Amino acid sequence: MNKLLIQNVTILDKQSEHHNKVADVLIADGVISEIGKLGTSEDLKVLDGTGQYLSPGFFDMNVNFGEPGLETKEDIESGSLAAMTGGFTGLALMPNTQPPVHSKSEVAYLVNRSKGNLVDIFPLGSISRDREGKELAELYDMELAGAIAFTDGDRPVNDAGLMSRALLYSKGFDGLVMSYAEDKNIAANGQMNEGVNSTLLGMKGNPALAEELMVIRDLYLAEYNDSRIHFSTISTAGSVDLIRQARQRGVRVTCDVAAHHLVFTDEMLSGFDSNYKVKPPLRSSSDVEALLVGLKDGTIDAIVSQHTPHEKEFKDVEFEIASNGIIGLQTVLPLALKAGLSPELIVEKLAVNPRKILKLEILPICAGNDANCVLFDPNAEWIYSNEFNFSRSANSPFLQQTLKGKVTMVFNNSKKFLS
Amino acid sequence: MPDQAQKLSTRHLLGIKDLTVNDIELILDTARNFKDVINRPIKKVPSLRDITIANIFFENSTRTKLSFELAEKRLSADIVNFAASSSSVSKGETLIDTVNNILAMKVDMVVMRHPYAGAGVFLSKHIKAQIVNAGDGAHEHPTQALLDAFSIREKYGEVAGKKVAIIGDVLHSRVALSNILCLQKLGAEVMVCGPTTLIPKYIGALGVKVEHNLLKALKWCDVANMLRIQLERQDIKYFPSLREYSMMYGLNKQILDSLGKEITVMHPGPINRGVEITSDVADSTQSIILNQVENGVAVRMAVLYLLANQR
Repeated sequence: MNKLLIQNVTILDKQSEHHNKVADVLIADGVISEIGKLGTSEDLKVLDGTGQYLSPGFFDMNVNFGEPGLETKEDIESGSLAAMTGGFTGLALMPNTQPPVHSKSEVAYLVNRSKGNLVDIFPLGSISRDREGKELAELYDMELAGAIAFTDGDRPVNDAGLMSRALLYSKGFDGLVMSYAEDKNIAANGQMNEGVNSTLLGMKGNPALAEELMVIRDLYLAEYNDSRIHFSTISTAGSVDLIRQARQRGVRVTCDVAAHHLVFTDEMLSGFDSNYKVKPPLRSSSDVEALLVGLKDGTIDAIVSQHTPHEKEFKDVEFEIASNGIIGLQTVLPLALKAGLSPELIVEKLAVNPRKILKLEILPICAGNDANCVLFDPNAEWIYSNEFNFSRSANSPFLQQTLKGKVTMVFNNSKKFLS
Repeated sequence: MPDQAQKLSTRHLLGIKDLTVNDIELILDTARNFKDVINRPIKKVPSLRDITIANIFFENSTRTKLSFELAEKRLSADIVNFAASSSSVSKGETLIDTVNNILAMKVDMVVMRHPYAGAGVFLSKHIKAQIVNAGDGAHEHPTQALLDAFSIREKYGEVAGKKVAIIGDVLHSRVALSNILCLQKLGAEVMVCGPTTLIPKYIGALGVKVEHNLLKALKWCDVANMLRIQLERQDIKYFPSLREYSMMYGLNKQILDSLGKEITVMHPGPINRGVEITSDVADSTQSIILNQVENGVAVRMAVLYLLANQR
């Protein structure tokens, strides 16, 4: 029998009677067999959980891999390994692939490719065929095949009519539409946030207005159709306000924020380092503050990595032609901690709420339940070295840096990862 | 020549942003000496003998390239010229590969113009040679700002306290940003003036005055630096027509004479006669446009000479 005893650990799981209590947890053959004050024995592997937290496994609802078609960026194996070491037991995969995930076959392929792995993978289907923003893809068929929600990924849906139909149509089977909010005509060819820093760097700005106009539009569309809507990676103070107000008047809206937007501002671009080139762009310090307030008051439901792998050839070039995105699966926890969030809030935003939004069940940390959990130490430091980067890509500004906040164990589907 | 011990604080000239006031003054003082040199019967000095400079232009340029070439030749440097269209992964060779290919032939310095902001900064992190930025997108054009400051100093004795209005397409201009930074470091007051659609929304935060009325700007300033309308860099239309632009922001003799004071007119060239400036203004005694061109060679000689001392 395969047994693991975690001693003296703080359990963070509001669903469990052990929430916020320190206890010993015994996991045997993938099942939480006992919680309490437990003794050791010869056949046990023992972990000291002092100062550490045990919570439901993290879930990332905004991840880009490269399967199918872009495997040189990331494949299921490499990406899952990165996710696992970052504390994730579940992911929603963006449809930004070649071909895009826009029909039952791509959805089924991803579901089959990842079956039984430690990290559960839930494909997100495209809203539109070929992600072209013109006509609806077969949303219901994809939902039946396992698509967990719908989004055109990093392409905003420009056509308001199409977005309205997507919201209305998916409501028929309780599907969820996710909006990446950016008005393309206002964002134009903006390379970074519009502000003093873009002026100083001589770069075209992508103003907060581009995001907020689209947030307003989609909030109205969701309200009109009485549909649920989820906003991906909001980044501006204005978006937080708009969503807060909409929720107060009863719009069924949820949203997430990328971990890097909680820590960095557009000042990071002063050296033209394309590792900080992301979309939406890094904003101002007042936006960062508003995002943190939004997380704390519940306006922002979830934190995502927006893991976006790119080969060196797409990143190590002039800023203007560099691709957007950073790999983030392994650095979400350190960034959330760096942003000053408490372990309890992190668990809510990183493990509980994403699953609630996607209507996924997770078993509480209680004796008798299958183990789907993560053990992390918010104070442990580690070096994000090349050897410890499990992604196929290396487009992260944190490589070679010492980060605080370490995942020490992950358990799911009777499989475990020990750091 | 200035004292050998006087050195710049930087190995490259990527932008005015990186220069200290001392650096700028050292360059301007050195340029004054070189201006004497190029007005002698024998215009050439041996300062950069055995130094090879590559002029790499990823964007069309006639006068900046010519000015750099003359500066290099008058310092006795060996030079090679390379003109290429800017490339990306999808379109062939990358910037680093292009430049490394040239450096493999033992080149010491690179003078580069590139359509993208920060291209020089990017390159400086990847190659060993010294880099002189000859214009990167709408970011910086440091030698232009230096020669403009030199020309103002030459005309008025000093830059400090002077009021300079930069007029025209500020949004697409690298000259504007470098000029603002350079003039401010030297103690001048700066105003930008142009159509509302061609003035960056946040430019006021750089400490410049913002004006949209040409006459008011001209009445305020000692020096008017007329920028070229960069039609080739405007991906969309920011004003309805050149005719209308010219009606609102074209500088003509009538306006100039109505000011009741004598201001100095500058232009980084090439000028669009009849658009941002009329011929009678460009050719008037108030215009120092051709002095700027002459000073450009001296300033670029100073920059190359001082950077070579840094090797």
